[in-house]
Amino acid sequence: MQKTPLYDEHLKLGGKIVDFNGWALPLQFTGIVHEHQHTRARASIFDCSHMGEYRIKGQSAIEAYDRQVISDTSKIPLGRCRYGAILSENGGILDDLITFRMAADELYVVTNAGPIASVTDRICGGNPGAEHVSYETAKIDVQGPLAYRMVMAAGFKDVEGLKYFNSLWTTWRGHRVLLSRTGYTGELGYELFMDNDLAPTLWELFCSMEDAAPAGLGARDTLRTEVCYGLSGQDFDSTVTPLESGMAAFIEWETEFVGKEALMAQRNRGDYRELVAVKTLDRRAPRHEFNVTRDGVSVGVVTSGTFGPSLDHGVGLARVDRNVSAPGTRLTAGPKGLPIEVCKIPIYTKGTCRAAATA
Amino acid sequence: MFPDNLKYTEDHEWVREEGGACTVGITAFAAEQLGDVTYVELPEVGAAFKKGDEAATVESVKAASDVYAPVAGHVIETNAELEARPELVNESPYDKGWFFKLDDFDPAQLRGLMNAAAYAKFVEEQGH
Repeated sequence: MQKTPLYDEHLKLGGKIVDFNGWALPLQFTGIVHEHQHTRARASIFDCSHMGEYRIKGQSAIEAYDRQVISDTSKIPLGRCRYGAILSENGGILDDLITFRMAADELYVVTNAGPIASVTDRICGGNPGAEHVSYETAKIDVQGPLAYRMVMAAGFKDVEGLKYFNSLWTTWRGHRVLLSRTGYTGELGYELFMDNDLAPTLWELFCSMEDAAPAGLGARDTLRTEVCYGLSGQDFDSTVTPLESGMAAFIEWETEFVGKEALMAQRNRGDYRELVAVKTLDRRAPRHEFNVTRDGVSVGVVTSGTFGPSLDHGVGLARVDRNVSAPGTRLTAGPKGLPIEVCKIPIYTKGTCRAAATA
Repeated sequence: MFPDNLKYTEDHEWVREEGGACTVGITAFAAEQLGDVTYVELPEVGAAFKKGDEAATVESVKAASDVYAPVAGHVIETNAELEARPELVNESPYDKGWFFKLDDFDPAQLRGLMNAAAYAKFVEEQGH
């Protein structure tokens, strides 16, 4: 397994290490539910150094990148971030990603660990202005209502005024750090990208703060499921398209990109399934790969499912036929016929991600 | 490490014989592996099980697992407290976190289960 620069920190803190896409990462420290609740109430520190990062410099490099993704990068204003995806020719999702507009002639791209090799081929192949920087880059996420206070207390004065889904380059103790107000929990939060050797210092500083606590992959999963964020490789992969994965709003039909023809054909046929949020009516949880049925007929499959600690019932995502995708539709899932209901996204609505950031 | 007065199964249930009935729960090892228990589905009082029948379900944030009848018997009581407080399975696996009680069981089946030392060895051999 590959180790992030924070591996030794996780061992020191008693993290339970698991293999996540070839990376040794903490599943939990004190317990998933506790870390989840701490994130919603205060703020947690996550090691996301396994994720993929790319820098795209120069106008022609940006144009070449643009043809690889479903977004229109020319429409991303300076300082803004945009959710998108990179597709295969047949429209299948190679990976989802976020594109940051750092400067008129510079983009920063964040992808996932699993499909990193094929994504790097697509982003960097034949594009000398695109640089793969994952292996020298560490990423620390600070997520929770107190995240602003913590990032400010750590000395990042530029955090003041940084709006949701915006990012900037800053310097911290002489090192360049990319600071973005993004996250995967539904809470007010920041992602900090830095050189590997800086990460342990910053991690220890955050962990020493009174209201901070480390959190692992387990809490990250329950937090993101409650707010219905898909996980690459679990809720979608190369066998399904953005239309089948809740990404319709992020497809820029006016631009050219790999996979667009297949996607247009699918849109015109209109026969695809949709990714929807589902909940249970008690504390039982839907589980990954549960068959979804209505009146005994299979109408879809659960792609993610867990107990939602902030909701006190089961939550998940499911890919279902379009005629059963409306919120309020009652379905059943799994071998024991667990009752589930399609619901609006997000399921958890009290997240602070768009709240005013103040100390 | 595991209480000496209990018997154990390879599915990580424990059994305590007292007053002619068997109390059944899951071991601290199983509870630790599951993580935070979020839901327990208990059998109906009066249900009859053969040894190895699915008798209860326990869910955590991470997974759902079945709990099997360690011996054949009739359910005479269930721990209703677990419906409101499933976390008792983690907090008190051998005491407040019990699942159900069986009577009419076969003492030979009970004798066939592992003692604490054998179960400890079994857990170790599973690679933990």
